[in-house]
Amino acid sequence: MRNLVHTTIVASSALALLLLATAPTDAQTYRAPRAADGHADLSGIYEALNTANWDLEDHSPQQGPMWQTGAIGSEPAGESVVEGGTIPYKPDALEKKKLNFANRRTNDPEAKCYMPGIPRANYMPYPFQIVQSPRGIMFIYEFASANRLVNMGKPEEAGSDTWMGTNNGHWEGDTLVIDVTGLNGLAWFDRAGDFGGKQLHVVERFTRTDPYHLNYEATIEDSTVFTRPWKISMPLYRKVEKNAQLLEFKCVEFAEELLYGQFKKQGSK
Amino acid sequence: MIRVGLLVVMVCASLWGQTKPGQAKNWTSPKTPWGDPDLQGMWPGNMGVPLQRPESLGTRTTLTDEEFAQKEAQAKKQAQADSQSTAASDSVGIGPPSYWVERGKPSRQTSLIIDPPNGRLPPLTEEEQKLRKEARGGKGFPGEWRGEANSYEDLNIYYRCITRGLLGSIIPVVYNNGNEILQAPGLVIIRNEMIHESRVIPLDGRPHLNPAIRQYMGDSRGHWEGNTLVIETTNFTDKDAIGSNGAGYPGDPGHHSADLKLTERLTRVDADTLNYQATIDDLKTWTKPWTILIPLKRNDHYQLLEYACHEGNIAISDILSGARADERKETK
Repeated sequence: MRNLVHTTIVASSALALLLLATAPTDAQTYRAPRAADGHADLSGIYEALNTANWDLEDHSPQQGPMWQTGAIGSEPAGESVVEGGTIPYKPDALEKKKLNFANRRTNDPEAKCYMPGIPRANYMPYPFQIVQSPRGIMFIYEFASANRLVNMGKPEEAGSDTWMGTNNGHWEGDTLVIDVTGLNGLAWFDRAGDFGGKQLHVVERFTRTDPYHLNYEATIEDSTVFTRPWKISMPLYRKVEKNAQLLEFKCVEFAEELLYGQFKKQGSK
Repeated sequence: MIRVGLLVVMVCASLWGQTKPGQAKNWTSPKTPWGDPDLQGMWPGNMGVPLQRPESLGTRTTLTDEEFAQKEAQAKKQAQADSQSTAASDSVGIGPPSYWVERGKPSRQTSLIIDPPNGRLPPLTEEEQKLRKEARGGKGFPGEWRGEANSYEDLNIYYRCITRGLLGSIIPVVYNNGNEILQAPGLVIIRNEMIHESRVIPLDGRPHLNPAIRQYMGDSRGHWEGNTLVIETTNFTDKDAIGSNGAGYPGDPGHHSADLKLTERLTRVDADTLNYQATIDDLKTWTKPWTILIPLKRNDHYQLLEYACHEGNIAISDILSGARADERKETK
């Protein structure tokens, strides 16, 4: 009997605690746990759960670039992650985007296993890991072993252009803000051929909104391609599987036939 | 409040640790704020030591003063020649012009291999000898490119920019030797410039991946033994090779099997030196385990740059299309 009473008390107080813990779902009231340096702890393995990598803008379901694979590799419908719905392209840039789309099977840098660049790396259908270290905040992406180290010290000017950019970060409250410059402008934003140019400048904001999600925002500007800066936002989902870890996706081998097949000797394997 | 109190205690403890008498002389490994030995920093490799020891040196692990002076003079001559060379050459290759290459600072260490005691690779097993001979219908594994280029598969994974593999990313070669160590509670990251690898090593004692999952960089688990980080890596693929896969050291170790078990031991021995030791245990390939030692020197000024090897790889299409052009010429 005493055991039963005890169990009931424990159970109800656990329930109360659970309610208490889950009640403030509002990002305004959630306080992220602290990392070793006292800042919000964003570390973990995350992945987007949307169709932004197919197309940042609103899109109907459609056949993918490879009819041979049928429904596998076809494009699910999705709602725009762009604030206001559409990307403000300049007219000639919009033409280039359309051309990109028409040639996406062979020209999408994802198909070629090129490093995905920023912002695309964050919403590809592959997990990535955030590690908060005293040397900076490291982003490690499963796709193509891409990675970037965010400098949290004195901002550094971009040296030569790179795929993953020069990343300078700082905290605004519990939000990690990353200023990305030095992007080479060769990466696409999605499989629909959306793209930036040589002047691409991305400012990202990562905020932990509850124990299992980050809110991701990116402001994208490039006056050579867009009429004004524009913004995307989406939640990123934490992988909660026990012992979750990044696995290897070295995709060069999967892209070689696409890239070099035309140069092989006839009849060779 | 408790947290603040704890912080004060920690700060006091670390101040006290610094001023403890008698410690100034003996260097002690620094600790991260959460108490792990702190290995963080930029630790680029130095190509000043051969992988295998010249047989004439026997079991001698260091050079004599005379031998070292000779080596230094040689390096000086080489550096001069490198700086005077131009990119123009009548031979075609993928190597950089010699004024780009980092041949390293001469060292007294006679070989990276410290075990077996003769500093040389143990003999290959019969099984591996057969495999290397019979691979690809008798052509063997693709090593240094010798001109045949029917397919990209005639070129090794080095040329193809797939990966340098775990050890090949650390064993110093003539360029891109940057290694950076970062730590966070519960894990260590080893970043290599070659080819933008970043290995996340959990320290939480979790089991290895199921053997059905095979990776070029394997599956690493770490733990501390005193101030030494011990990393055990399994789950390797057999498509990889140790060393730089034929493009670096003469007598590269080459292909290894999926049975490879790699044990790395990283120890800071002074403020500027991190000893990197690795034991290669793959009895399917080598008849005995063997061990290398690479003393890595701290270099805070080294900038680890993004090496977009595959993205910039025009060599493969040039080599293949060149070979096709040659064939067309021959049939005319």
